[in-house]
Amino acid sequence: MTASGPVAQLEQTIDKIIRQTEEEILSGMESAAGQSSQALDDAIPALEQEYEKIIADGRKEADKISRQIVGSADLEVRNRQLLALEDAVDGVFVRALEEVAAADRNGADYAALMRSLLAEAVSVLGSSDVVVHASAQDRDAVQGILSSDYAGAELAPEPLGCMGGVRIQSKDGAMTFDNTLDARIERLKPLIRKGIASKFGAGN
Amino acid sequence: MSGSEAAAAAASKGGVQYSKIAEIKGPLVIVDDVENAAFDELVEVETRDGEKRLGKVLEVGNGKAIVQVFEGTTGLSVSGTNAKFVGKVMEMPVSREVLGRVFDGLGRPKDGLPDPIADRFIDINGEPMNPEQREYPKDFIQTGVSVIDGMITLVRGQKLPIFSGSGMSHNLLAAQIARQAAVVGTDDEFAVVFAAIGVQYSEAEYFKRSLEESGALKRSVLFLNLADDPAIERIITPRVALTVAEYLAFDLGMHVLVILTDMTNYAEALREISAAREEVPGRKGYPGYLYTDLSTIYERAGKLVGKKGSVTQVPILSMPSDDITHPIPDLTGYITEGQIVLGRDLFRQGVYPPVNILMSLSRLMKDGIGEGSTREDHGEISNQNYDAYSRAQEVRALAGIVGKAGLTEIDLKYMGVGDIFEKEFLSQSIDENRNVEETLSILWKVVSQLPKNELTKVKDKYMDQYYQGTD
Repeated sequence: MTASGPVAQLEQTIDKIIRQTEEEILSGMESAAGQSSQALDDAIPALEQEYEKIIADGRKEADKISRQIVGSADLEVRNRQLLALEDAVDGVFVRALEEVAAADRNGADYAALMRSLLAEAVSVLGSSDVVVHASAQDRDAVQGILSSDYAGAELAPEPLGCMGGVRIQSKDGAMTFDNTLDARIERLKPLIRKGIASKFGAGN
Repeated sequence: MSGSEAAAAAASKGGVQYSKIAEIKGPLVIVDDVENAAFDELVEVETRDGEKRLGKVLEVGNGKAIVQVFEGTTGLSVSGTNAKFVGKVMEMPVSREVLGRVFDGLGRPKDGLPDPIADRFIDINGEPMNPEQREYPKDFIQTGVSVIDGMITLVRGQKLPIFSGSGMSHNLLAAQIARQAAVVGTDDEFAVVFAAIGVQYSEAEYFKRSLEESGALKRSVLFLNLADDPAIERIITPRVALTVAEYLAFDLGMHVLVILTDMTNYAEALREISAAREEVPGRKGYPGYLYTDLSTIYERAGKLVGKKGSVTQVPILSMPSDDITHPIPDLTGYITEGQIVLGRDLFRQGVYPPVNILMSLSRLMKDGIGEGSTREDHGEISNQNYDAYSRAQEVRALAGIVGKAGLTEIDLKYMGVGDIFEKEFLSQSIDENRNVEETLSILWKVVSQLPKNELTKVKDKYMDQYYQGTD
């Protein structure tokens, strides 16, 4: 046996091991590639599903945000409109009240108005045995009506701070009925507001 | 004389102010020497400082009138208080403009905006619906909450209360329904009227913010009566809310969902007045007429023949001590058309919404689901889930005694169905809006855990189409 015999044998064994390892690695790689490819194929439908879900969720979210933005913008605009309308209505109201306050009190119409306001107030209380309160400007006119039509009624010594009309009170002070122009306007305010707003094209 | 002229004439007259106050007792003011007052007439009570509070006449006779003051009698004294009888009942100004607005419990603006320009002024007590004119409710309302849409379906014109308990998540559910509710398959307008009765400030803020942020406020009207507002105001809150709802529904043709939370606070206020009037108390101190009174609220729901709109009610009540036999849920159950019951156990497990479906029922569901409304298999798959979940509960109870090892294979499958039902169908996040298709798909997924031969309540054709199991 020569000295090269065992070396050659060793080399052969090493070559064999290398070949075998190479084959194992290649076969392992092939199988891994096959498995990866299979896993990829299997994952595609799940991925597509996930992709569609993300898109659908995104659309839902976008829709939600869009509704939110449009909704609050609509409300903001509407609220500004309401405030602007209210300012306009208030302006008309103030102007109208100024005109009422400055109305001519010497004409027959105003005397008739005072007479009817007083008659209505007396009829609501159900007695003419009352104390009548009136503004400083109306006191003379009211006194005239009381003297002629309501013998039991008396005019309160203190003038009433109002635009016009009367407030009457039973003599024991238990019942009061306010028939001043101020009180009547206050009671009618919601209806008057609606009327004014409709002139601006608002309301139903 | 036209309608508006008549209204103007009536309004201009005003009323008489009386200054003889005989007694102030709890929320009641007894006025002496009163002539011509009418039952339910609106009264303006003026304090010594000129502050005005609203009230209504409860009783008249022998020259006396008993006035219930909505804003409470704190600070009032017998001398110096005046009561003005306005000559009309309490009215709510209504118009389309009320949409998107926030009001207090008496219907006064709470959002810093002016009073709405009224189209009409409507008596808050409403007019009884002519039974002959009522139309049977049969159209689906989608709430986006699976358990309601899938198994306790709400239909337009129905009154379906939520029975909850103290501290449970009913307010979250109420807000979610308010945000998400919609009518499907029609272009008809939809609106939500939300009345919070005696709620905490934080809850009221949550409702408001939740509607604002979702963009749903523009189709909603909010009435907020807070816990620190006078209790008596709570008597009025549901009535003003329903008045607005009826106007939107029957005058403007909208489908309106009214959410009233919490009706227990309403009944407490009723008890307070009853006690002050020294009436003979009924069960748990509530007045004997509690049933009649509740019906005057709940019966203001429905559809009318020849009218396009509808009023659907979801009143929410928290049952004291979770007691479903308590007079409030008990009497409510007699009037309404089913109930949604929230379960304490589910709530403790962290399930939202914690709806106990075995105790819940929508009596009108069958008419609002199926082909043409939701989907043809809806009724059957809902029944199958009800059956399976009920069996799962029995199996859970059995497992508690014999242990899991003592259960059969099919028992274990039913246990699995119970778990998946609670985790995937019942549980839903508070901003998750599921459409009815998604809901039905989950219902199929739940029962598909069982073999086909266990599904005895669904037709084969639906099984072929929707069953997702491997069996």
